[in-house]
Amino acid sequence: MFTQNPQTLGMPEGTYVFDLRTCNRRLAFNRFFWNMIRPEAREAFWQDEEAAMASAGLDDEEKALVRARDWLGIVQSGVNFFVLEKWARVVRKTNLEVYAIMRGESLEEFMQTRAVPHAR
Amino acid sequence: MARIIGGIGTSHVPTIGVAYDKGRQEDPVWAPLFEGYKPVARWLAEKQPDVLLFFYNDHATTLFFDLYPTFALGVGARFPVADEGAGLRGLPDIRGDVDFQAHIGEALVNEEFDLAFFQNKPIDHGIASPLPLLWPHEPDWPGTVVPIAINVLQYPLPTARRCYRLGQAVRRAVESYPEDLSVVVVGTGGLSHQIHGERTGFNNTEWDLEFLELLRDDPERLTRLSHADYVRLGGAESVEQIMWLAMRGALGPQLDEVHRNYYLMTTTAMTVVTYEERVAGDLAAPMREQEVA
Repeated sequence: MFTQNPQTLGMPEGTYVFDLRTCNRRLAFNRFFWNMIRPEAREAFWQDEEAAMASAGLDDEEKALVRARDWLGIVQSGVNFFVLEKWARVVRKTNLEVYAIMRGESLEEFMQTRAVPHAR
Repeated sequence: MARIIGGIGTSHVPTIGVAYDKGRQEDPVWAPLFEGYKPVARWLAEKQPDVLLFFYNDHATTLFFDLYPTFALGVGARFPVADEGAGLRGLPDIRGDVDFQAHIGEALVNEEFDLAFFQNKPIDHGIASPLPLLWPHEPDWPGTVVPIAINVLQYPLPTARRCYRLGQAVRRAVESYPEDLSVVVVGTGGLSHQIHGERTGFNNTEWDLEFLELLRDDPERLTRLSHADYVRLGGAESVEQIMWLAMRGALGPQLDEVHRNYYLMTTTAMTVVTYEERVAGDLAAPMREQEVA
C-alpha cells in the first residue's frame, strides 16, 4: 500500500521525487551510471555499449533509453540526476547541454533564457 | 577548548571546480564568481582557523544508494578528491584530524544523532568545488576538514529542523573538545536551482534573498518548511539549503553577515556568505544597522 511522505506532499510539476520505492525499482540502472566514476567502466562503455549494458543487468526498456540518449526519459524512469551526470561526462555532454535537452530546447534556445547567455 | 569562530554558506556547483582547474578566474563570465570568493579567502587567511567543519552532501560518488546514510561523518587523515566521471582534478588530498573527527562523532552519537561513519573514501564536489576558493592548496591545505555528509538525494531526507538541531549538537561537540582549535562551520549547496525534469532551469532570486535574511535573523522559521516547500520555492535541488541550516544551527543567536556574493550565471544562484557571531557589548553591529535605517 502506498503511503505519502508528508515532506514531499505538493511537489511541483516537472519534478521527479527520487525516493526509496523509485530507487528500489531502478537500483541496477542507477548503479550502471554510478559505475562511470571508475576509468575501467568508462573504457568498457566506450569499447562496447551493448556488452556494458548487458553485464550491468539493464532491462530492455533501460537499454533503449541509453541507446536513444533519452535524458529526460532516463530521469522519468527513476534515475537520480547525480549519477546521470557522471555518464554525461563519458558521452561528452556538458550539464548545460543536458539541461537544454530535458527542457526540449536547443542549447542556444536554453541559453537565451539565462542571465548570462554567452556563459559556457 | 575548541571554539567556533564563524560560518560560511557556499554553493558547490561542480562547474566552479572545472572553471577553477581551467584557470578561468579572469574570464569576464566567471570573474564575478571568483572575485566574490576573494574576501572570504582573505577572511580565512586573517582568522586562520585550524578546522573547516563541512555540512555537505555526497552526490552518489563516495556512497551509493545500496547503502545511503542520512548523516555520515568522514574519519581520516587524508581524503582524495573524487573522480566523478571526468578524471582526477590534481588537488592535494583533503586533510583531516582523526582525534577531532572521532570526538565529534562520539559526542554526536552520545547526543542521539546516530551517524554513519566512512573511512578511506574520496570526497566529491560537495566539498571540493568551493574548497580551493576558500583555502590555498599549494603546497598543501593550511588546515583540516571535518566532513559531515547529509542525504539530500534519496527521500526521505532529514527534515530542515533535524539539520538545524544537528548543527546545534555540533556546536556542543566542538566546545567539549579540550584542545584549543578554532573552527569555521561551512554549509554547502544551493541557492535556487533545479537540474532535472521539465522544470530544469527554475530560479527564484526573490526567495534566495529572503532565505538569506531568514537564515541570519530567524532560522527557526526556515526549520518549519517541508522539503516540498523548498522545492517549490527554490527548485528541486535547492533542498540542499537544509545544509545551510545545519551550519546556522552551529552558530550563535545573533550574527553579522560580513560578506555576501550572489551570482546567478546560468542555472544555479551561486552564493557565498560569511557570518561572524555578534558578541554581547559589541556596539559596532547595531551602529551599522542604524546606518542602513
